Amino acid sequence: MTGPYPDRAGDPETATAGPSVPSGSGVPAAPGRGGRALLPRSVPGRIRLITAVSVLALAVLFGTLFAAARSVRDGLDVIGHDAGPQVVASADLYFALSDMDAQVANVLLIGGEPRLGKGRARALEVYERRRGDAGRAVLQASALAGGDPAERRTVQAVLDGLGRYERLAARALLLAEQAGHPAGPPPGPVLEVYRRATDLMRLELLPMAYNLTLESGTVVRRAHQERTLAVRAGQILTGAAGAAALGCLLWLQVVLARRFRRVLNPALLAATAIAGAYALTGVTVLGQEAEVLRAAKRDGFDSVLTLARARAVGSSMHGDQSRWLLDPGRADTYEQTYLDKAQSVLYTPGGNLVAYQRAVKAAVDRNRTAFLGLVGQEAARARLPGSGSAVADVLARYRDFQQADRTMRELEPGRAVEQRMGRLESAFEEYDAALLGLAELHRRTFDREIRIGEERVGRLWFLLPIAMAGTAAMILAGVRPRLSEYR
Amino acid sequence: MTREAGRSATAPSPTARSATARSVTLRSVTLRSVTVPSPTVRPLIARAAAVLLALLPAAACGTGGPASILDRETLVVGVKPDQPGLGVKVAEGRYEGFDVDVATEVARRIGVPDVRFVTALSSTRQRLIQKGAVDLVVATYSITPENRSKVTFAGPYYVAHQDTLVRADDRAVENVRDLKGRRLCQAAGSNSWRRVAEERRIPVELVPASSYGDCLAKLRAGAVDAVSTDDLILAGFAARDGSALTIVNAPFTDERLGIGMRKGDLDGCEAVNRAITAMYQDGTAARLLRKWFGGSGLALTFTVPQFEGCA
Repeated sequence: MTGPYPDRAGDPETATAGPSVPSGSGVPAAPGRGGRALLPRSVPGRIRLITAVSVLALAVLFGTLFAAARSVRDGLDVIGHDAGPQVVASADLYFALSDMDAQVANVLLIGGEPRLGKGRARALEVYERRRGDAGRAVLQASALAGGDPAERRTVQAVLDGLGRYERLAARALLLAEQAGHPAGPPPGPVLEVYRRATDLMRLELLPMAYNLTLESGTVVRRAHQERTLAVRAGQILTGAAGAAALGCLLWLQVVLARRFRRVLNPALLAATAIAGAYALTGVTVLGQEAEVLRAAKRDGFDSVLTLARARAVGSSMHGDQSRWLLDPGRADTYEQTYLDKAQSVLYTPGGNLVAYQRAVKAAVDRNRTAFLGLVGQEAARARLPGSGSAVADVLARYRDFQQADRTMRELEPGRAVEQRMGRLESAFEEYDAALLGLAELHRRTFDREIRIGEERVGRLWFLLPIAMAGTAAMILAGVRPRLSEYR
Repeated sequence: MTREAGRSATAPSPTARSATARSVTLRSVTLRSVTVPSPTVRPLIARAAAVLLALLPAAACGTGGPASILDRETLVVGVKPDQPGLGVKVAEGRYEGFDVDVATEVARRIGVPDVRFVTALSSTRQRLIQKGAVDLVVATYSITPENRSKVTFAGPYYVAHQDTLVRADDRAVENVRDLKGRRLCQAAGSNSWRRVAEERRIPVELVPASSYGDCLAKLRAGAVDAVSTDDLILAGFAARDGSALTIVNAPFTDERLGIGMRKGDLDGCEAVNRAITAMYQDGTAARLLRKWFGGSGLALTFTVPQFEGCA
């Protein structure tokens, strides 16, 4: 059927008054809905308008999907590739600094007794390596600070302080070498210089390094929060725009069917199907991606960062053990800071170290996993496959580390230094390795989540132009022949 | 903005609403008798009254929802009323001390310079935060794992240490171990003596006192030999007492003094941490520490403390 009423194009009343509606003007006017009054009175005008509205709704649909998919990609980028890993790496600064100070304490403690544990040479070698690590980590922290003036000042202060620390440490090491004291507390003048060095490190540099990690972590948190909100909003908008587009396309279908007495317009139907399927996919994928973002943040970034902080605090506890042996005058202070750090890693009530260590042993022996503290909270919310046994391993190693610490503190001074460099050293390394293992588990899950998320949003992204071109072509194919009937 | 929405969303209780209506009628009557009521005046007053009355129950019941301290127009800050140097109530609604100055600075730097101070005691501060009666607590509030599970802490803004105060002429005490066999003041309601006598098992002779003020009097009178508690508290007293008393400067604990706020206000907590960092970077913190504790002979730390992280 081609061009049934080409000469009556301008007259909608007669156009509707076809053979099937002989009564004339009454029928089209009957639905007295207000909306009708706004529509153009000519048939092609109406068709054009509805088509335009459909295309507009589709444009909104594709536009919101586009924007939401970009938020997803940005969000995954920030947390998976950009700031996220950098923030975690910035925890290395604290670790390197704190281990530098611990190694200086070890060298001083070993004194002229080179066969103790890994010995003086080994401690000096580790010290040098940590110096290099710290230098690189400061550079990275500086890059991460970007244009933020407060953070840049902090980085600068760390860098200045590091220079001062190295000079003090070098002097303490030189004085100790000249003194050639046996294993144990060094002579007064050495201790005097070391006190200044360790105070600088523990009271000034380490807090600043720690705060840098926390501060750049807040950047990730906020970026993540914004992206997640954008994705959620995009999901709702996509749903609304999809529904509107489908409504318009169906409306167009109905109008065309009425005017031209055809049940279906196959091309338009195809356009509707493509748009509908894509909108549905879009809403589903966005929902899944929001979940991926959430899981990557919670089980990935947050856990990895928390465990990195726990490792940093652990290294500083290990340093406190050396300092406790090294400086009897301050032994109470170092024992207290050790206990404070221990409780921030794994909290159980206990007013003094003996009670704390007893409580940790009792709790871990009973397979308790609900604790407060950095490791404690990770243990309490272990939910990745395989994390149960990894957590149990960390807790058991931590208990053994604390028990080895107890032994050291109860031995007479000479034997205590041996315990520190022997059994306690290996207990610490085993605990640290277990922590790393748990962190690695989280990191792998995190990487996998991010990759799956990226692939899924990649497919959505790839299909977007195809769906756009497809619907546009189908609408054109469906509407154009009808309009051409009026020429 | 969020704050406004929160206010209008929280409906006042029936009594509050009728009170609003009554006060508005009264007000408009008096207005009419005095001048011609302008058409904008009445709704304005009505709205202001409604907002005020809606705010009261909202603040009292803590139904403020997830609002952040950053959205407040006035910050209600809880401080200690009786701790020299830290927080002392000097008149109704007027407090002074290091904590008070820190709170004022922080409030200015997070963009809410309008501050109202109220009393927060150790026994009430957690409840005050939880029910929303105060926005911040700056009252020698120690960050501990247990406290952290109920309250979000920014800071610490200072790490205090337990230290020992002796008479200036007593030179035999160099650290806490030297208290062996000496008379240590045991202030009622404080656990500080436990850290000496129980945790470190140092054999001291405990002498009970009603408060730290009483301890100080006993120390000056020679009834006790030492008072041991947070160094900032000791410094507050020592600064007041001039050179008769001296701090040993042998700290043996870390007390991380944090700024408490409603659990979960991460935006607010992060902003406060940035404010504290800035206070240390521009020297404000050093100035305030010197102002309140400079005369005490206490070794102060002028670099930013290690934060706990907002959670």
